[in-house]
Amino acid sequence: MDSSSSALEPLFAFLSYSVSQIETTFYKIPGSHVVARYVKSSHQDDPGRTVLEILLVIFAIRTLLQSRTRADSGGKHFIQFSEKEVDELVEEWTPEPLGQPLSAEEEADLASVPVISGANGPKPKLLNTGKQVLNLASYNFTGLAGNKDIEQRAIETLRKYGLGSCGPPGFYGTIDVHMDLERSIADFLGAESAILYSQAFSTISSVLPAFAKRHDVIVADRGVNFSIQKGLQISRSTIRWYDHNDLKSLEEVLESIEKDRRKRKAPLTRRFIVTEGIFEKDGAMVDLPKLIELKYKYKYRLVLDESISFGTVGRTGRGLTELYNVPASQVDMLIGSVANGLNSSGGFCAGSRIVIDHQRINGTSFVFSASVPALLAVSASEGINILRNTPSILSTLQENIYAMRAILDRVDCISIPSHPASPIIHIYVRYASPNTLQLPTSSGKPSNPSSVQPRDPPVFDIEAEEHLLQDVVDEALAQGVWVTRARRLRGQELLEARPSLRLAVSAALTKKECEKAANVVKAAAVKVLSRRK
Amino acid sequence: MPSNIALNPPTPTKSMFKRAPMASAKSYLSALSQADARARAHGATPTSTPALSLSSSVTSSSEDTVLNDAELDNYDGLALPSVPPTSEQVFPTIHSEFGHCSNENYRYRSAHPAGKPLHNLEETDPPYYILITTYLSYIFLICLGHLRDFVGKRLTPAFYRHLLPYDGYAPLNSDFDSFYTRRLKTRMDDCFSTPTTGVPGRTIMLLDRSTTDYNITHTLTGTRTRGLNISSYNYLGFAQARGGCADAVEEGIRRYGVSTCGARLEGGTSELHIMAEALVARFVGQEDALISSMGFATNSTVIPALVSKGCLVISDELNHASIRYGVRLSGASVRMFKHNDMEALESLLKEVISQGQPKTHRPWKKILIIVEGLYSMEGTLVNLPVIMELKKKYKFYLFIDEAHSIGALGPHGRGVADYFSVNPRHIDILMGTFTKSFGAAGGYVAGNKILIDRLRLRAHGGVYAEAMTPPVLIQVVASMASIMGVSSPVPQLKHSQNSSVSSASTIGLIESAEHHPGPALPSQLPPWMDLPPMMRDGSEGQTRLRRLAFNSRYLTRGLTKLGFILYGHSDSPIVPLLVFHPGKMAVFHRMMRARATPIVVVVVAYPATPLVTSRVRFCLSAAHTKEDIDTILKACDEVGDALDLKHMPGERWPLQRIMDSAVELVNMRDDE
Ligand SMILES: Cc1ncc(COP(=O)(O)O)c(C=O)c1O
Repeated sequence: MDSSSSALEPLFAFLSYSVSQIETTFYKIPGSHVVARYVKSSHQDDPGRTVLEILLVIFAIRTLLQSRTRADSGGKHFIQFSEKEVDELVEEWTPEPLGQPLSAEEEADLASVPVISGANGPKPKLLNTGKQVLNLASYNFTGLAGNKDIEQRAIETLRKYGLGSCGPPGFYGTIDVHMDLERSIADFLGAESAILYSQAFSTISSVLPAFAKRHDVIVADRGVNFSIQKGLQISRSTIRWYDHNDLKSLEEVLESIEKDRRKRKAPLTRRFIVTEGIFEKDGAMVDLPKLIELKYKYKYRLVLDESISFGTVGRTGRGLTELYNVPASQVDMLIGSVANGLNSSGGFCAGSRIVIDHQRINGTSFVFSASVPALLAVSASEGINILRNTPSILSTLQENIYAMRAILDRVDCISIPSHPASPIIHIYVRYASPNTLQLPTSSGKPSNPSSVQPRDPPVFDIEAEEHLLQDVVDEALAQGVWVTRARRLRGQELLEARPSLRLAVSAALTKKECEKAANVVKAAAVKVLSRRK
Repeated sequence: MPSNIALNPPTPTKSMFKRAPMASAKSYLSALSQADARARAHGATPTSTPALSLSSSVTSSSEDTVLNDAELDNYDGLALPSVPPTSEQVFPTIHSEFGHCSNENYRYRSAHPAGKPLHNLEETDPPYYILITTYLSYIFLICLGHLRDFVGKRLTPAFYRHLLPYDGYAPLNSDFDSFYTRRLKTRMDDCFSTPTTGVPGRTIMLLDRSTTDYNITHTLTGTRTRGLNISSYNYLGFAQARGGCADAVEEGIRRYGVSTCGARLEGGTSELHIMAEALVARFVGQEDALISSMGFATNSTVIPALVSKGCLVISDELNHASIRYGVRLSGASVRMFKHNDMEALESLLKEVISQGQPKTHRPWKKILIIVEGLYSMEGTLVNLPVIMELKKKYKFYLFIDEAHSIGALGPHGRGVADYFSVNPRHIDILMGTFTKSFGAAGGYVAGNKILIDRLRLRAHGGVYAEAMTPPVLIQVVASMASIMGVSSPVPQLKHSQNSSVSSASTIGLIESAEHHPGPALPSQLPPWMDLPPMMRDGSEGQTRLRRLAFNSRYLTRGLTKLGFILYGHSDSPIVPLLVFHPGKMAVFHRMMRARATPIVVVVVAYPATPLVTSRVRFCLSAAHTKEDIDTILKACDEVGDALDLKHMPGERWPLQRIMDSAVELVNMRDDE
């Protein structure tokens, strides 16, 4: 007892000294006596009040500090101007126009988009020609467009629910049909749970930033679609890139990150691999089992965008997990398109309950947007029922794809990067001489994972190729086959995609029609591409 | 009489709607018996009255599951109007979907008095003790939450596993990040995300839930509660399963299916898009418009196409998440100004224009001010007249998000420009959504043709997002046309109809010089669309607009006279009622729902609002009747007393006086 108090003596001395110091400094501040007296007397009257007031002061300071609208006029680059100078500067300033007028080229581009008259489907009528065409442009893979059962269910739903949901999911916008659709998607895939977004494009760009934050690590394929690119941008995470659909490259990148982490003894952060099942950009397909193996080996979470593959591959259209016989639960976040796969509108993310529930509070475009109209949700549910019960849809689709590829693969003047089972078939212009514009000859050295640019970027002439491809499109359309160039947001994408024609095969066409269409495309390509020098 | 929605007997429609389906005959009993009486009075046989022939065509069994027996079961006072209709009145709407109201006094014209300054309600502070106890309850909740976490992590670690690093994986959501959600929001999770069924109209059917683990999971009990719906964004009451819009949508589904199968530029453009875009442009008074399939995505994919690095966005601090998302994607610099504070905005403008870009001091390429027309959490209106003045001087571009104001404000429902009598063409970009006033989904941007064409190519949606589906497009066209009225075809229009066939986006340009706000042109509607006469001549739309304006003002004024602290503007259909305490918020919600006539409300708290200003948010609709507002006032009066919510200084009126002087209250000027 004694010894301890004597040991503490210097400390006490120091404390009392500093208290008195603080006291004298405090009383040096003008007006401080008034404050002190006020505190003393109010404390005497009502000690509880002091506590409250102190709390209040703390909160007031905090609120001030939190103010989001402070001007940073104190910054070191701030220049002081007089009132007059400011007025002159305001007077002088002329902004650029908000939108630049379209060039003649762009006008033509916009005008070349056909408008459908009436219902879309395998053989829609186009407004400007009034003619019926074979449709290889629209996403109608499973041929559900125009399905009478779905339309009937949609009408029944309309008569029960009206059209709009009139609210975001949190505020009475969760309708029972949404829960039904979420459940049937989860059941269909074999996932624990699923969440429905109201637009496919806005799904993954909300899913990613709901989980990945600053300092988290995302390893992504260089060829990911635009929506993923935007999600990566919003997440502000550290992005590492691996070569397009090259899992060797992925493994190297994962290994190098792991090495680096161990070296720096960096704290554990969330790590994600982000890629697509079938790539929107070129139709390549990822090797899912290998991907899963890597994900477990390096302890990453896998975000797989199945916007193209859901509803188009696998025995009943469950996507890559069905095709490769991988349990869907091994994909942490499986994103799919209700719009593409089920001919309705919206997108979904399937995963564990924890993953899904988290998005219900943190998925920006889920929380802050009205839910999908009830009749579109019901149409999608009906679509799943049809897929479940009619495996012949998927086998027809695959036969059609096979029939078209059998013809197109043999055409010399084009090349096809897409996987043989991919329902979208991208067609590149192939050049006669192999050493001008060509895919890169691998130099064997790995690309820099911090840059989205690969080491040996493919070389191509965007403008010339798009011209040629548009000529092919026009030629095919004149022959009654509607195909489209894959449209891109040139200048806004991280990596410019090579210009391509994009064919979307449909189960609603017969094999004959597909062969006919393929032959028309082939003839158009040969005709246009043989003309060029 | 002619402009009265309630007095519109269902007219026999042409062959198109042979099977115009209606609900069970039961739900139309009141309408039927009246029609019957009228028919007999006119000496016709009952079977020849349109109402009967319409109701005799129920083919689908599922229709009755929602409009079930509860429809006539008036135990909650919601199914039938308190005053039965007279024999002269036939209401074409279902009372539970769109209330019956034929009193022409309960109407108001939504417009800003010319030359007067904007008069948003003042933000009244509550008494000190309310603030302090509010802070204290947050402190208490936070301390308690940490205590529970501390104990819980030791006693039931399995429950925390997903929040902590495990097996070499970092948690998806750390215990720290999720603290607020787990420990504060979960306490009142029964107030959020309640599942519903049926039409979110005047009333809404809630699926009852129960929880055995303090709101961590909910299970449906199988029972349902119908409540007076003062929560859905259904300003003009177009959330209807019956009526001209739904009939048109049904016909549209038969003609167009449910999907457009692709993006706008890649095989998903339908003639319906062209028509709808022309109509929207005309509705808002711009040259051209672009439609996208989601309101959120309209902002998040268009803003990056407008501004980029080297540009500056000046954004109201309370702008919607979709705007912030779009601005972040754009790469432009952002500055925020205090909500609706025009002085702060002007001084900010002076600063940013004179300083130029940070560090380099180069002039900004463009400056874009983004504001909302009507703020969804505050109910405040943008101070448009002042912004237009500033715009002349400072040459910035102006983007107005009219998600909530389009359809809901202005004598013609054309949004804030209409409300303030500002020429819409002087505003660079008008953005809005169809989710709210039009009972549809998706959004639009409207502006001059050069700009919109640029956006068609440059905004992300045109290339990558699914196009708006036909049923939604038809709902948009039908509801919008019924607000505008449709002009009768004039001969010289022949020419323009032809040109619309050949060009993808020029219908909006035709007669652009014509007086705004004018009616819709017949070419902007699908030729098969056969709207009922009261929709075609715009009288039904007018009634909707005027009923909404009345309801908004009546509720605002009534609640103020009861002594509640409100935010916003008296013409705003969004009425936030300040509750302050986090605990009272949940109790308010539960008490309103537990009443004999259940009332369904939305409560909002931090982080959607500042910490202390938790609130209840009412969204009015043209579908509500004066009696509905009375019901709400009565409920608020009682609940407000029980929860000590009435802290507004100033004159108070007893409830009965408020209900008796509704018309007088509504017509009071804002500065009175
Ligand atoms: C101001 C504002 N903009 C955009 C949106 C998004 O609209 P939607 O629900 O149609 O996606 C909302 C919806 O709440 C909003 O309030």
